[in-house]
Amino acid sequence: MRTDSAAPPFRRLLIANRGEIAIRVIRACRDLGISPIAVHSDADVDALHVHAADRSERIGPPSAGESYLSIPAVIDAARRSGAEAIHPGYGFLSENAAFARAVEQAGLVFVGPPPSALESLGNKLAARRSAAAAGVPIVPGTTVALEDDTAEAEAIGFPVMLKAAAGGGGRGMRRVDRAGDLAEALAAARREAASAFGDGTIYVEKLVAPARHVEVQLLGDRHGGLVVLGERDCSVQRRNQKLVEESPSPAVDAAIREALFDGARRVAGTVDFHNAATVEFLLDDAGSHFFLEMNTRLQVEHGVTELVTGLDLVAWQIRVAAGEALPAEVLAAPRVGHAIEVRLYAEDPFDAFRPTAGRVTAWRMPEGPGIRVDAGISAETDLPPEYDPLLAKVMVHAVDRATAIHRLRRALDETVIGGVQTDAAFLRWLVDDEAFAGGHYDTSLIAERWGSGPEPTAQERGLAAFAASAARQAAPPPSAPVVSSSTSPWGDLARRESLR
Amino acid sequence: MTDYEIRVDGEPADPADGWRFEWTDERVGLARLVGPDGTRPLVVEGAGRDWVVTIGGRRIPVSVRTWRERVLAEAESATRGHAGPIDVKATLPGLVVAVAVSPGDDVEEGAPLLTIEAMKMQNEVRAPRAGRITEVVVAAGQTVSTGAALLRLA
Repeated sequence: MRTDSAAPPFRRLLIANRGEIAIRVIRACRDLGISPIAVHSDADVDALHVHAADRSERIGPPSAGESYLSIPAVIDAARRSGAEAIHPGYGFLSENAAFARAVEQAGLVFVGPPPSALESLGNKLAARRSAAAAGVPIVPGTTVALEDDTAEAEAIGFPVMLKAAAGGGGRGMRRVDRAGDLAEALAAARREAASAFGDGTIYVEKLVAPARHVEVQLLGDRHGGLVVLGERDCSVQRRNQKLVEESPSPAVDAAIREALFDGARRVAGTVDFHNAATVEFLLDDAGSHFFLEMNTRLQVEHGVTELVTGLDLVAWQIRVAAGEALPAEVLAAPRVGHAIEVRLYAEDPFDAFRPTAGRVTAWRMPEGPGIRVDAGISAETDLPPEYDPLLAKVMVHAVDRATAIHRLRRALDETVIGGVQTDAAFLRWLVDDEAFAGGHYDTSLIAERWGSGPEPTAQERGLAAFAASAARQAAPPPSAPVVSSSTSPWGDLARRESLR
Repeated sequence: MTDYEIRVDGEPADPADGWRFEWTDERVGLARLVGPDGTRPLVVEGAGRDWVVTIGGRRIPVSVRTWRERVLAEAESATRGHAGPIDVKATLPGLVVAVAVSPGDDVEEGAPLLTIEAMKMQNEVRAPRAGRITEVVVAAGQTVSTGAALLRLA
């Protein structure tokens, strides 16, 4: 993909992550002529990203705290492997200022914004204060930590959202509708935040509803070059975590877009910024925007922006980290067509999107025109319960939104996963949902329109009945007890029950 | 087909007519149904009586029993009582982070019993019915796998 004949920005780069994002960064390394080095915990010895890299360093036991979140283990792995730079991916250590500093102190390059930016934007409370000072509207609420008394929350007016100052990914977040529920929700949010981030500080915001979640992608170099690469609408969420993202946002017109882009630049201007980051906003039904937070890292959904801009964001992260300036064609990159991403998770959409675990047996991903799949697993993979249940991201790109939705329907019809329940059934339903198809949806879509999903149709039940009976008839007569040859959890359950 | 009693999700079901079943990759359970107006990809897992068919992304349990298997199963369930204590089991693997009850506690249906952290999420395990806790077999800090007994409710 490089058009010049310059030497690669680095000789070796270590990817301090796992799953699909590790593989994504490995691919960018290959395109740039860099030797990619993976890391793995004991749960990931045989993971796909380990086999995709040139080599992989063991960094500890399965527990993330002792492996992918261990700063000394990751730095040590980089030293051992002779890596010159570290890409943190998303999650894990990606927004950890202490990690970014440790990388630099070890004489390595951190592929991400400067540690000072991670520090000032990592605390969501501090970021709220800076954004407000820069003239960017914030969601009404506190700009200091919430104490145990309910006065502050009551002054804002219920319903409110509790959020973790150190937060991200929806953890430590709670909606509270009544003053009487505040104490319990606050305790739960603090516990979850302390466990996820090591910091139980909680603040409170007024609940904006209905709301759309729209974010703006930024890319900057070390020489003052900064480009806004469009917005992404991430309003399809469960547990305040994104499931579907699209660009452009059907809720954003030219005037709103201009305001969002201006707000994003202002927030970035409050820190010393380079590399990739995303500024997140809530959009209310009047089209007013409120700053939520700035994520100083690559987002899960960056591929949506890559499809509409044609840019390789990960490659540019690495190149600007090595000191390259963004050229004119990046600074003025046009945005073409419409892109949608859906996330395949090992979660049961018929049971409140609870994580499922087990072994993925069958695995068939869609292919063909306008389709991109970033997957972290392949067939016959055990899903370790220690980590995020994201399996793959299916992305489509087309000339306009309607065509993109058609393409997404085909892509999901081609997608087949066996062994674990995934959210694929929800995603396939979404494509045909009127609100989604019409672009008139907000963050309440899953709660309001999906709930716990429809019952299987009579046709689906009939087809399932026919398929199972046909499969049984086609099978050779069992020579052993019939339940023992199953690899499914149902078989396992039956086996366990029979041993009781 | 009439030799079998088929239940979908526990309910009696009639197999759909006019479709042909073919394996795409039997080793991993990939199959498809070919009908007059199109095809449906699916995953078929299992053996003997117990199957799971994934169709449209949804896993649907299907039992396919011969007459003889059905009679045997009914005889077995008749000898097993329905009342009595129940074991509350983990529905997902993870780390027990908090236990809210002790033996001797009386709980209402839906009362929080313990918290399991899995995939970075905290999941409350709640009482499936009202009753008295007679035994707690796990403690905070312990890792549990799916199906592990957590406590007993009488």
